[in-house]
Amino acid sequence: MHNTSFKKGLAIFWWLTLVFLYAPLLVVMVFSFNAINTSARWGGFSLRWYERLFNNDVVIGAIGHTLLLAVISSIIAVILGAMIGYGLYKHRARKLGLLIILIYLPIVMPDIVFGIADMAFFVQINRLTGLLSPGLSTMVIAHVTFQIPFVALIVYSRFVGLDATLFDAAKDLYASPWQRVAHFILPTIKPALLSAFFLSFTLSVDDFVISFFTAGPESATLPIYIWGAIRRGISPEINAIATLMIASVALVAVLSLLFNRRRA
Amino acid sequence: MNQVDVVWRRRRRRETRHLLMSVLPGALWIFIFLVLPSAYLMSVAFMTNGGFGQPQLPLTLDAFRNLAGFGFLGWSPGNLYTLWRSVFQSVISLGLVVLVAYPVAWYISMCRPRLRAIMLLAVVVPSWTNQVIRAFGWMNLLSPGTTLSDLAARLGLIAPNMGLFPSDFAVTLGLVYNFLPFMVLPLYAAFEKLDHAQIEAARDLYASPLRTFFVAVLPQTLPGLLAGSVLVAIPAFGMYVIPELLGGGRSQMLGNLVASQFGDAANWPLGAAGALLMLLATFVGLLVLRRMGRRLGGGSEMVI
Repeated sequence: MHNTSFKKGLAIFWWLTLVFLYAPLLVVMVFSFNAINTSARWGGFSLRWYERLFNNDVVIGAIGHTLLLAVISSIIAVILGAMIGYGLYKHRARKLGLLIILIYLPIVMPDIVFGIADMAFFVQINRLTGLLSPGLSTMVIAHVTFQIPFVALIVYSRFVGLDATLFDAAKDLYASPWQRVAHFILPTIKPALLSAFFLSFTLSVDDFVISFFTAGPESATLPIYIWGAIRRGISPEINAIATLMIASVALVAVLSLLFNRRRA
Repeated sequence: MNQVDVVWRRRRRRETRHLLMSVLPGALWIFIFLVLPSAYLMSVAFMTNGGFGQPQLPLTLDAFRNLAGFGFLGWSPGNLYTLWRSVFQSVISLGLVVLVAYPVAWYISMCRPRLRAIMLLAVVVPSWTNQVIRAFGWMNLLSPGTTLSDLAARLGLIAPNMGLFPSDFAVTLGLVYNFLPFMVLPLYAAFEKLDHAQIEAARDLYASPLRTFFVAVLPQTLPGLLAGSVLVAIPAFGMYVIPELLGGGRSQMLGNLVASQFGDAANWPLGAAGALLMLLATFVGLLVLRRMGRRLGGGSEMVI
C-alpha cells in the first residue's frame, strides 16, 4: 500500500485540500482590492475600500475595543491561570479531580451556551444591583473565564517539565518564599507565561460568540462589527478589514514558525 | 496524640492553605462567572415564560414541551425540524471530515519529519482566522453569480441565478471547513505511531487495498478517529455562526434556535431548554470519549 502511485494520489489530494482550506481566505484578500462593488467579478485594482476603512470611526473604535479587551483580559488571565498552574503542580500528589473538572469546564462548554449563560446572569445581576451593565467590563470577565484554563495548562506543563529537585535546591539555599518566586519560579516559567499571554490574546481577538452575547451597545469588537456589516449586506469594506485580520494571523504564524526553528 | 502526628497535621494544614491561596482566585472566577451562570441558565429552563421573555415562577416543564413543538397554537414541527437538522448536519459533516482527514493525515505522516510540522501548521493556520471571516469567505465564493454557483447551475445542481448560498449545503461545507483540523491533528498523532509491518503483512496475504485499510489501518488509528469525532461532532451540534451566516432562515440549527429565544423571539425558558440539551450532548460526548479511550488503551490524557 506504500507504493508510489498510492502516495502520488495522496499528494494530489493534499494539494486539493490546501486549495479548499485557503480558497475562502484568498477570495476575501483578492476582492478587497477590487475596484467595483461585488465579489463575483474583477473590476481592476483599487485601494478605495482600505481608504474608506481608515476613515471609518466605528471601525477604528472597534479595533481599539478589540485590542483593549485582549490586553486587559490576557493580563488578568495570565496571573490567575499561572497561580492555578503552580498550585496544580505543587499539589499534584493530591486528588484534585473536582478542580480539574472546573478547569476543563470553560474549554468543553459550547460557546453559545457559555455566552448566553453569562448574558442571562449579567442581566439579572444588573437588574438587582445595577452593577455589570453590558460593556467592556462584562466582556473582560467572560474572556478571562475562557482564558484561565489555557494559561493554567501551559504553566502546569512547563512545571512538570522541570527537574523537581530544583525546588528543593532553592529551599536548601534558604531562599524565602518570595525570593523563590522572584529569582527562581518566575524566571524559569517566563517562556510559558509569554506563550500563555499570546495564546490568551489570540483567543480573545478570535472570539466572536461569547463577545457577541456579553457586549454592550458601545463596546463592539472587530468581529462583532464585521458580523453586523455582513448582516446588513455584503460590502467590499468587510473584505478589507478581514484581509487585515488574516494578514496579522499569517504574520503570527510565520513568526511562530521562525521562533520554533530557531529553538530547534 | 504524639509529636509526629501533630507536626504532620500542621504541615498538612499549611499545604492546604498554600493550595487554596494559589488556586482559589482563579477557581472562584470560573465558579462565579461560569458555573453559577450555567446553573442559573439551567434553572431558567424549568421556569415559566413571562412577558418580555423574562423567566418567572412557577416551575414547569413548559419549555421542554415548547421545544418538542407544543405552543400556543397547538403542535408544530418547526423546533423538532431544527433539532433533527442539528443532528443530521453534525453527522453528515463528521462523515465528510473523516473522509477528507484520513488521506491528509496519512500523507502528512509519510512525509519527511521536517516537512510534517509545516504541513500541520498549514492545516491549522486557516482556523486561526476568526470564524465569522471564514464563513464570509465562503459567502463570497458561493453567492449567486460566482464561478462556483454558475458551474453548479450549468450542471443542473441548482436553479439558474440561484446561489449555492444560502443553503443547507453551504452550512455543511462551512462545518467541514471549520472542523477539518480538529480531525486531522488526532488522526495524524495516530498515524505517526502506525505499525507498518501490519500493512505489509496484510498485503503479503493478498488483501485488497480496502480490506488492508479496514484490517490493518483502521484499528490502529481508531483512538485518533474517536477523539476527532467528539471534537468535531459535539461543537458542530451547537454551532451558531455558520448556520446563521451560510444558511438561510430554513437552515437553522439548535444554536440559532437558542440564540433567537434570548433575542427577538424572547422566550428565555425555551432557549435555556435548548442550551440544556446542548450541554447534555457535550457531557455525553466527553463520557463516551473517556470510556472508549480507556478500552482502547489510551489514557484519560486523550481528552483534549
